[in-house]
Amino acid sequence: MKISYKREKIADGIHFNSIRNQSLKTNSIVVNLISPLSEDTASLNAAASYILTDSSKEYPSLVAINQKLDELYGAGLKGAVLRAGDNQFVSIISSCINDRFAFDNEKVTEELARVTLGCILEPNLDENGFYAPDFALKKQELLDDIDAVINEKRSYAFQRAGKIIYRGEPAAVSVKGERESAEKITASTSYEQYKKLLKTAQIEVFFVGADEPNDIKRSICESFAKLDRDYSGKVETKRSALKASPEEFTDELEVAQCKMVLAFKSENADRCAATLMNAVFGATPFSKLFLNVREKMSLCYYCSSNYNDMKSVMTVDSGVEKANIEKAKDEIIHQFELMQKGDFDEKEINEARLSLINSLRSVNDSAASLVSWYTSQIFLGTELSPEDEIELLEKVTKEDIVNAAKSFKLDTVYVLKGKESAENE
Amino acid sequence: MNKEVIKNARTGEEYTLIKHPTGLDIYVWKMDNFSTTHALFGTKYGSINTKFKTKNDPDFITVPNGIAHYLEHKLFENEDCDVFSLYAKTGASANAYTSFDRTCYLFTTTNNVYESLEILLNFVQSPYFTEETVRKEQGIIGQEIRMYDDNAGWRVFFNMLQGMYHNHPVKIDIAGTVESIAQINADLLYKCYYTFYNLNNMVLSIAGNVDVDKVLEVCDKCLKQNENIELETAFEDEPDSVCEKEVVQKLEIAMPMFNIGFKAKPESGLAALKAEIETNFVLSLIANESSEFYKKLYDEGIINSTFYSEVFCGDGYFCSIFGGEARDPRLVRDKIVEEVERCKREGLDEKRFGTIKKAYYGSLIKGLDNAENLATIMLNNGMEGLSAFDRIETVANCTFEDVTKRLMTQFNTENVTLSIIDPVNGREDK
Repeated sequence: MKISYKREKIADGIHFNSIRNQSLKTNSIVVNLISPLSEDTASLNAAASYILTDSSKEYPSLVAINQKLDELYGAGLKGAVLRAGDNQFVSIISSCINDRFAFDNEKVTEELARVTLGCILEPNLDENGFYAPDFALKKQELLDDIDAVINEKRSYAFQRAGKIIYRGEPAAVSVKGERESAEKITASTSYEQYKKLLKTAQIEVFFVGADEPNDIKRSICESFAKLDRDYSGKVETKRSALKASPEEFTDELEVAQCKMVLAFKSENADRCAATLMNAVFGATPFSKLFLNVREKMSLCYYCSSNYNDMKSVMTVDSGVEKANIEKAKDEIIHQFELMQKGDFDEKEINEARLSLINSLRSVNDSAASLVSWYTSQIFLGTELSPEDEIELLEKVTKEDIVNAAKSFKLDTVYVLKGKESAENE
Repeated sequence: MNKEVIKNARTGEEYTLIKHPTGLDIYVWKMDNFSTTHALFGTKYGSINTKFKTKNDPDFITVPNGIAHYLEHKLFENEDCDVFSLYAKTGASANAYTSFDRTCYLFTTTNNVYESLEILLNFVQSPYFTEETVRKEQGIIGQEIRMYDDNAGWRVFFNMLQGMYHNHPVKIDIAGTVESIAQINADLLYKCYYTFYNLNNMVLSIAGNVDVDKVLEVCDKCLKQNENIELETAFEDEPDSVCEKEVVQKLEIAMPMFNIGFKAKPESGLAALKAEIETNFVLSLIANESSEFYKKLYDEGIINSTFYSEVFCGDGYFCSIFGGEARDPRLVRDKIVEEVERCKREGLDEKRFGTIKKAYYGSLIKGLDNAENLATIMLNNGMEGLSAFDRIETVANCTFEDVTKRLMTQFNTENVTLSIIDPVNGREDK
């Protein structure tokens, strides 16, 4: 099956990306407004992602817009705020059924594109900015979400660790900002920042579906062409700088199970070799970490690694009993030393590679994974298909992996520890 | 061998059902132009099935809580290696899960489908436990139980079930407790294995880039003949009333979380599916994001966008749940009870019924793009003796009268349990 990908410039710093896969029964439209992460604007941008899809000038309330979406066969329309490397995405994601499934031949997709563009370009405003009563609710929700990170201990530990790992870099900024800065935002400051985003941000529009999106492209182009642009240039991400010596940091909370996050950094690792290295080391259930730290030694309930190719950082996160923290840490580091010494064989490499190839081949089967794939291509400055990436992975040798491993050094050890009182319960 | 193609005129989709001579039902859905294949090999055996008998047992037997999940963990170990290391050779990504009423072993792959299928069928049919390997697992499962103890979303749900049910084992955590799993040994695991992992009690379901005949070739080679042992499961009698109206726990979270459950009488087969769908319509009409009720509570800040509602049902249990985060969960409960009573008096909004039906139907169409979703639907419906298209057809044929009737039967405002997780110290201003 052939997937076609086409990227066209439609205005200064604005591109229309169309991805066609004839087997899909769903059509998706994704608009990403991309700008550098910064403490000053993180919460303001996040607020826009919360409020934009809840109403528009034409559908001025949550109920009005949701009734419209129900009529469009339960079309989805959601905002999200995401991080990629040193950048923040305000993402508007919509999807609906292919028109051929509609009961009465309605033009569902075109209508959804119109509603989506309305939310982005003609939001529901009053004289000061975003419509004040809705904004107040959304601001509260943003504050609640910032507070709620603590509810999931694994992601909480990961977020806290990120502050230490990326100290001094944009990537250390929480994607929704800190509570203090979020408390200060208003309907007016948030709308002013949103206007600035429309003016200066890198904008990537995606269409994913079975049919040629001519009509949809036309309406998107016309709408975005009207924007008054002052593009601030393509966003970038820098490799994270290694600390002079590894930093250890501990938080205490009332939890039954402790969490530990380790970070290793490299200043020059080859992206493909490091991807494969990470898979052999800790990203599969037959990796060194899973088989040794979890299975053989029963030190953790979960213990896996993740490689952030934009920041050139590999993290290991684990859930550990308090008594096993030191033992687990030593064992994780020991297993990584084995990687650096080349203590793994062709079988382990091939199995890790096969597992990566397996997930690459499935990229074409869903709109979300296609958008995420081609977005990362934009950042890398390449236009590789998943098939091209498979070819590159097939060329990586054991020597390449060892070299990549040798370039990674321990940078941070973060522990979320249970308080004594929780231990005794 | 009986091979039947099941077609659906509305969507133009089809799949194949094979009644294999070994007793296994096999479902295959070929998805043109997709790369991914998702396979599920499941048994109708979950955490609630702790009391059972076969034709070889004189009487019903009761086993410790958490044993179905324990068995799932142990089956992943062969006599000489871990199952993951077998899949490593094919590149498939494998996993397993235990729910209240099923245990499933699965893989997703884009290459080596039939080699992976062979691994799946072989390891699930080859149990190997010793006292030593069983003991070793207690540490890992104990860690897993502790991890869920910290998970507020999980706790708020189970606390609600514990408040709602007097006797039904759905109230027990799927993994059991540290105490109950301490009673598990190799003999008990074998007993449960040979009772529930009989092919007459199992389903194989595959969707994606597959060929039916090649699937059958692997099945013919790997499946072992199974005698029908006339398995029966049983539950203690469950009263209509709830056990407790309110359950509260404290955890390290930011804002109170809640689950509000309306307990109702369970049904089975197609009647259960109809009840679930019609109750979903009622929930959407009363409180989805397009309803006046939602708007009012949302605008007043009583609920926020975490608010949701869903039907939770299975063998011997049925309830409708409203959940989310709120500063005052008791107020949310009172408002919902009030609204349910108002709807019963004044009727549901018939105008919105048609749009909700379109939305429900649309969400099922979207699901046709996903191999995992299709394999899961075939398995779930197959285990209940239903077709994979029964849901889409029931939604398309549902009437406003059916839904109104359902409001009257499934929402007894006397049988409501509220579960709350409160923050340990209230919110700290950091």
